Amino acid sequence: MKLFNKGGFRKRLAVCALSFALLFSSGAMLVQAEGGGSSYNYSFWGNTVVAPAAYDATALLTGDDLGVGSLKEPNDLHVTADQHIYVLDSGNNRILVLDSNYALLDVIDQFDNAGQQDGFSNPQGIFVTEDKQLYVADTGNKRVVQLDQQLQLVKIVDSPQSELLQANFDFQPVRVVVDKASRIYVMSTGVFDGFMEFSANGDFTTFIGANRVYVDPIEYLWKTLSTKEQRSQMVQFTPTEFTNLDINDEGFIYATNGDQWGDNIKKLNAQGTDILRREGYFEPEGDIRYRPVDGPSRLIDIDVADSEIYSVLDAKRGRIFTYNGDSHLMYVFGGLGNQLGKFTAPTAIERVGDNMLVLDKALGEITVFETTAYGRTLNEAVRSYYRGDEEAAFQRYMETINMNANLEFAYSGIGKALLRQGNYGEAIKYFKESYDNKGYSKAFLLHRKAILRSYFPTIMTSVVVLLLILIVWRKVRKWKGGKKIVTIE
Amino acid sequence: MSPSSKELVKYPFYLIVHPFNGYWELKYERSNKINLVISFVILLLLSLTNILHSQYAGFLVNLYNPKSMNSLMEFVYVLVPVLFWCVANWSLTTLMDGEGKFVEIFNSTCFALIPLVLINFPWIWLSNVIAMEETAFYHFSNSFALIWFVFLLFVGNMTVHQYTPLKTIMTMLLTLVAIGFMAFLCLLFFSLVQQIISFISVIYQEIVMRG
Repeated sequence: MKLFNKGGFRKRLAVCALSFALLFSSGAMLVQAEGGGSSYNYSFWGNTVVAPAAYDATALLTGDDLGVGSLKEPNDLHVTADQHIYVLDSGNNRILVLDSNYALLDVIDQFDNAGQQDGFSNPQGIFVTEDKQLYVADTGNKRVVQLDQQLQLVKIVDSPQSELLQANFDFQPVRVVVDKASRIYVMSTGVFDGFMEFSANGDFTTFIGANRVYVDPIEYLWKTLSTKEQRSQMVQFTPTEFTNLDINDEGFIYATNGDQWGDNIKKLNAQGTDILRREGYFEPEGDIRYRPVDGPSRLIDIDVADSEIYSVLDAKRGRIFTYNGDSHLMYVFGGLGNQLGKFTAPTAIERVGDNMLVLDKALGEITVFETTAYGRTLNEAVRSYYRGDEEAAFQRYMETINMNANLEFAYSGIGKALLRQGNYGEAIKYFKESYDNKGYSKAFLLHRKAILRSYFPTIMTSVVVLLLILIVWRKVRKWKGGKKIVTIE
Repeated sequence: MSPSSKELVKYPFYLIVHPFNGYWELKYERSNKINLVISFVILLLLSLTNILHSQYAGFLVNLYNPKSMNSLMEFVYVLVPVLFWCVANWSLTTLMDGEGKFVEIFNSTCFALIPLVLINFPWIWLSNVIAMEETAFYHFSNSFALIWFVFLLFVGNMTVHQYTPLKTIMTMLLTLVAIGFMAFLCLLFFSLVQQIISFISVIYQEIVMRG
């Protein structure tokens, strides 16, 4: 016991020394990440701490650059697996297709509908499947249009029929995603029941993933106190609508909603249950510190990348927040303003490889962000860990914390790698550094077991020896005592 | 009769396991002066336990922001609630036919704190060698210490004021209400004083600037 405490003290010293070493090494010998401390992150205690920029704006794309005239209120972006970029230029009722070098490939503004030329009317959402099936939420025409690779009309989904829908239901699709089984998920304005799911042949099947109703306690009090007539005049409690959705390779829908409370990012499975892991230091909701007058972030787009990494776009402050699969905040970039890398009215985000595109609705521009060394390392660390490549993850996380010692969840990644390697004592330190008590406990149990095992012979020997001494002592005392009694008698 | 030093140490332990006899002795048979010394020692030990806990207790039971750690405040966190309790209790019981003097109330309250020291102190060190599953024992002991403390407080109050059990419970609940009132008044007082001070300093600055 005593020995162990001493060990604990020595360990603490070691931690101190280690952190000092880190502090100096990051300043002296290692390359500082580009951008210095121009970004921020949140610490375990909820404080804002500086962080190196993970992304830098490198280019600005306008319609004029592409030679198609300026974009007018573009609303959505989509990037396919082969890095073709689809820009939905809503105001001009057309779709621009760019290649990965941002050169124009095609402009889609009409299609052949049963022998007649047909076009779009203020389309709001676009989705392209792996086999290049193009789905457009043609909002003005109240329909979803599917075109094939040759841009031939495959089908039109409009005026859905179901007993779930009211007779006067107004179908206004604004966003659309399609899963691997060609089921279509449509976000429609004025629908509070979640997303509309359509079967592969375009029949409405069901709603999935409805948001929960939030009841304002004060509002509720007023309602209970008012008469029936007054109540009918009041606003009804309705669930909030979703603001956007995206689908990942596994077919899970990631969605954002406009709620200012509760979970405003959701990962929905086929049943519409929210299965997002929220194991970060705080809920994934954009900014956690803000002035009361400004209010929390208003998330309007979500982009899910590989390895369960997802990014959300905050329309209120123009920032893009990226989280890993456990909902640890990885990095923040963007903002509102006039410089390159700032936006006026950002409306959509999408990844091209590791680059990030941000679409500005008001200016009709697309900002291209490229990763910095820090961003690349961190992305690679999270990916390696997700792949189960502990060794690579360990290396990358080490590099990451050398560039940003404040990134607390990275220490947990290192701890997990060390735990897997069997280096429990070191793992404990790193878990402690990242306030990961589950990891700490796991490493500690193994560490304790190892220590006890190594001292087991000593402990057992001393116990046996002590027992022997005790027995002998008693015997001797009895013998002496007996003698004494005898002498007294 | 001056008790020997060995007896001095033994008495508090006797009290916590035999509260009825112990508190009776505290009120009628023992010197208040010596009890007062023991009381202050207990308060000091409790503060020390709390400080050591926030500094040395195991990571799993002690998620503590080192930036917000302040040892002097730990003394205040012990002293202020105890004083609040004693003052509130004394104020109430003088109106409710309590027989306790202030010093007796203070002593009985402090003696009741012993289990908190006795149980929490070893756990500071023990908590460094437990895993997450074993923290249940830690939390159990903590609750046990707390219940023991409340029970001692109850018996102490009953004995010192010579109340019936029901009346004691009523007084204790009322004391909590009174503490609420006192806290509110203190807040009011301090914010008023603050305003007066800032008012005076503003006037002073203005005079200095104009002069």
